[in-house]
Order: sequence, then C-alpha cells, then structure tokens
Amino acid sequence: MSGLNRTISLAARQALLEQRSFWRSAEYALFTFALPLALLLLIGSTTATGDLPHTHVEGQMVFVPSIIAFGVIVAAYVNLGAKLATLRHDGVLKRIRTTPMSATAYLSGVLGSTAATAIAITACVAVIGALAFGATPRASGLPEIIGGLVLGVACFGSLGMALSSVARSAESASPIANASYLPLAIMSGLFDPAFSVPHWLSAAVGVFPVRALAQILEHGYTPAAHAPLTDLFVLLAWTAAGCAFATWRFRWH
Amino acid sequence: MTNTLAAEVAPDLAEVAADAPRPAPPTIEVRDLTMGYGDRQVLRGVDFEVRAGEVFCLLGPNGAGKTTTVEILEGFRQRTGGTVRVLGVDPAAQPARLRERIGIVLQECGFPRQARVAELIDIWRAYYPNPLPLADLLALVELTEDRNAQVRRLSGGQRRRLDLALALAGNPDLIFLDEPTTGFDPESRRRCWAAIENLRTLGKTIVLTTHYLDEAERLADRLAILQGGRIQVAGTVRQVARQAACDTRITFTAPRRLRDGSLLPPDGLDVVVSGDSATCVTCHTASALRELLAWAHVNGLGDLDDLSVENPTLEDAYLQLVSEREAQ
Repeated sequence: MSGLNRTISLAARQALLEQRSFWRSAEYALFTFALPLALLLLIGSTTATGDLPHTHVEGQMVFVPSIIAFGVIVAAYVNLGAKLATLRHDGVLKRIRTTPMSATAYLSGVLGSTAATAIAITACVAVIGALAFGATPRASGLPEIIGGLVLGVACFGSLGMALSSVARSAESASPIANASYLPLAIMSGLFDPAFSVPHWLSAAVGVFPVRALAQILEHGYTPAAHAPLTDLFVLLAWTAAGCAFATWRFRWH
Repeated sequence: MTNTLAAEVAPDLAEVAADAPRPAPPTIEVRDLTMGYGDRQVLRGVDFEVRAGEVFCLLGPNGAGKTTTVEILEGFRQRTGGTVRVLGVDPAAQPARLRERIGIVLQECGFPRQARVAELIDIWRAYYPNPLPLADLLALVELTEDRNAQVRRLSGGQRRRLDLALALAGNPDLIFLDEPTTGFDPESRRRCWAAIENLRTLGKTIVLTTHYLDEAERLADRLAILQGGRIQVAGTVRQVARQAACDTRITFTAPRRLRDGSLLPPDGLDVVVSGDSATCVTCHTASALRELLAWAHVNGLGDLDDLSVENPTLEDAYLQLVSEREAQ
C-alpha cells in the first residue's frame, strides 16, 4: 500500500472509531443535535411569515441556513476544540505519539468524524426547515451549500484545533469556545433574521468567519441574499490562519 | 497471566518473533548522556547499556531523572549531550522509524473514553506494519472476556493490562514499562509479573522503571540505580547488593545459657540477643556459620534451632545506597 493510500485508510478507520464513540455517549450526541434544532423551532415559530422588513427575502430563507451555519460551528469549533483538549488532558494524544501513526492521518480522522457530525446536523436542520417552514435550497444554490459546508468545517475545524491548543485545561476549552463565537453569532444575526446593527459594527462583524459562513449558505437558499464572494475570501483567510496557528502550536501533551 | 494462557499464546508469538531479525547487541547504548532544563541539570553523564532479551530495571528516588532518561530513549525528549542508540537508531533523529519497533507503557495515560476494548486494540494494530493477532493480545493480557466492554468501565488493573496490550500491538522488539504495577492489588501484580516474564521468554527486551524493589528483584536480569543525575551502581541484583556492602544476617533461637549470660558467644562474632532470638550480622557468611556451629557443638547445644541465613535484599542495598548518597 502506498503511503498516501495508507494515510487515507488509517484516517477513515480513525474517523469511524471516533464517530462510533460519539454516538455511544448518547447524551452528548443528543444535545449536540438538540441545540440547533431547538433554536430552529424557536426562531421559526416566533418569526413573522413573509418578507423581512425592507427586503424581498422571506424570513425562513435566512434563518434556516443561519441555523445550519450555527450547527456547523458547534460541531466543528466548540465540540472539536473541547474534544481535542480532553484527549490531550487524558493523555490520549500522548499515547498516539508513542505509535508510528502519523499526525496527519490521526488528525484527519478526528476531523473527518467532526465533518460527519456537522453533515448530520445540517441534514436534520435542512429537512425540518423544509417540512416545518417550507425553506428549500435553490437547485442552482447547491454549490454554495456544499462549498459552504466543506469550507465551514475546514475553517471552524482548524480554528477548533487552534483553540484546543490555546486552552490551558480541558475544562476551559468549552467556555473559551462559547465566549468567542456566541457574541459574533448574535451580532451576525444568526438567531434573528431581522437583526440589524450599526454600520461600523456590521463592518467589524464582517471580518469574522461566522457571518461569512451564514451568508454563503443563505445564498444557497435565496439569490436575493448578499453575493458571497467576499465571504468566501474571509473563510479562506481564517482557514489559513487557523491551520497555521494549529500547526505552530499544536501540542500532544 | 496464568501458565495455561501463556502456553496457548506463546507458540504464535514465538513464531512472529523468530521472523524478525534480532538486533545486534546491545539493544540500548547510553554514553555520557546529559540533560538540562535551563539552569537545572537533570542528567549529568549517564552511562549504561541494555542487552538484547534482558529485563533491565531503572531504579531511583523520585526526581532522580528516570522518566527523563526513558523519554529520551523513546524519542520524546531531545537530550542536551551524549550518545544514545536504541535498536541501532538515534531516537532523537528517527523517532518515527523507532516507534514501529518499540512498545511503550506510559505512566497514567488515558484512553478514549467510549471506545471498546477490542476495537481499541484493533485500531492500535492498524498503526503498526506487523501487528500481533488480536486474539493473542487479548489472551496475553487476559481481557478476552472483556473484549466488548467500554474502556471507561474497566477496573484499574484491567486498564493497566489494556495499556500493556496496546504497547504490544505492534509486536515490538523493545518494550518500555513505566511503573507498570503502581496501584495494583497483590493478585494483579503477580499476573502482570507473569506477563512480563512471559515476554522475556519470547525474546523481548524490556526496560522497566519501578518504585517497588521486590518487583525489580523478581523481574530484573540487571538493574541500575539512578540518583543525582548519574548511575550510582549497576549490575545484577546480587552485584548491586554486594556493592552496597550489605551484611548477611544469621538468626537462630537463643539457647537458655546464652540468654542468661552464663555462656558467651564465640569470639569475634557480633551476636545480639533479643528476646528468644539471637542475630549475628556478618560480611563473611560461611566462616561465621562454621564458627557458630563449632561453638554450639563444643558447648553441647546441638544444632542451633531455627537457624536461618538472610542475604541482603535489594531493598536493604537500595536504602543504604540512597541514604549514603543523600548524606554526602
């Protein structure tokens, strides 16, 4: 088996083991899914039907993809960051280092499992969004949806990895993750499609990847939303920054 | 590990072990190894070697540099100076190649919490180019019945045995065991010792660090005592005990006349009577015994009751060495 094939097959096996372990802790898995779904139903039932104020965009075409973005961030950033911090704290990462398993294969496997979780959350939100609120993606919007998911997982996954190295203890990883993305998520209007902020704040929020991901996914639902080219660059830049930081600072023990 | 299990597993293991080329001795060679963290010098010129197929035990008080030494051998730490060869490779230069041929049991190292025993061992096998069969590994550490248990539900002893199974997954030539029986009950310790002895019969080289001197005495072919960043003494258990200049103790039941002072002990022997028993501490066991028995015969005491000869234990030697060095 060539080196690359072996890396890929090892990463796939690792991802499978991680994914099985994830579903085995039923409570953890349940609430990882419950949070975005509960928010979806809550926002859906409190948002007035019809166009958003001063636009020709229907509310559900914004809040459904926003919650998808939220789900991706929770799975890839919060959960992955906390998981890696715990694995490090428990000595599992150190144990991996005692074997010939390559860092690339191992971390790809962990990230692959994270991607699977993110996709499962996306599917749940999308299906409930369609059935309960009639929000379906545009047929021509699939590239935005798929590209947004791939880039979203890559970007927030690399930031989650970076976060796990910043946190000094396993316990502090979750609070740090929540404190860093939740304010941005609120300012970005993820939980309220009619949310508006002053110009300067909107510009500041636009520099971060939270709204960028949401807007790319929104464009997959409705063409009237903001064209996402700038957002694409924002996500790419944060992915690069996250990868660079994680490579520089990633610790095995 | 029971003998029946060992016998079941041994043929397969021996076959695989025979296929691998035996490394030319010594398996580990350490010359003038130094290690410092900033101003603090932890290792000040450590020399020792470990021969192929032996159990080598590294002893020393806490903070002596045992773990640092082992981590340098494993390729986890970069040394400050000196020469180190492990299986013919410099661990600092080629840690990845080395790791295919060594197994490591770390101190206090966790598992992924939700993984099951067999699936964890199985993925560990996938990490190595020539792994041992899963069934053999499970049998070797007596976890066959717990193969489907989640790791977080295992007892302390079971976890430690799983540690060992993971370290052996790649069929290593050299195994590092860092305090493998800490926290074990006596029964689990014996099982672990039997497993380690079984590994030795398969031709594996084992480097063991431990706090338990009886463990070292039982398992080690050779040992070294590390203190103050240097090897203070090295050799077989008997050599180390002798180097510490520990005396043999001869005890017997004190005859009544010796107890009431009407009979004096033989000249030149240091005999102390305490209660019913008499103890003679000497460096010259054979001649002291001869003299005692002749004295007993001449004085009509017959054979001395409950006569016993105790060689110095490793513990005596260790404590004497360590306290001597600390006093200096």
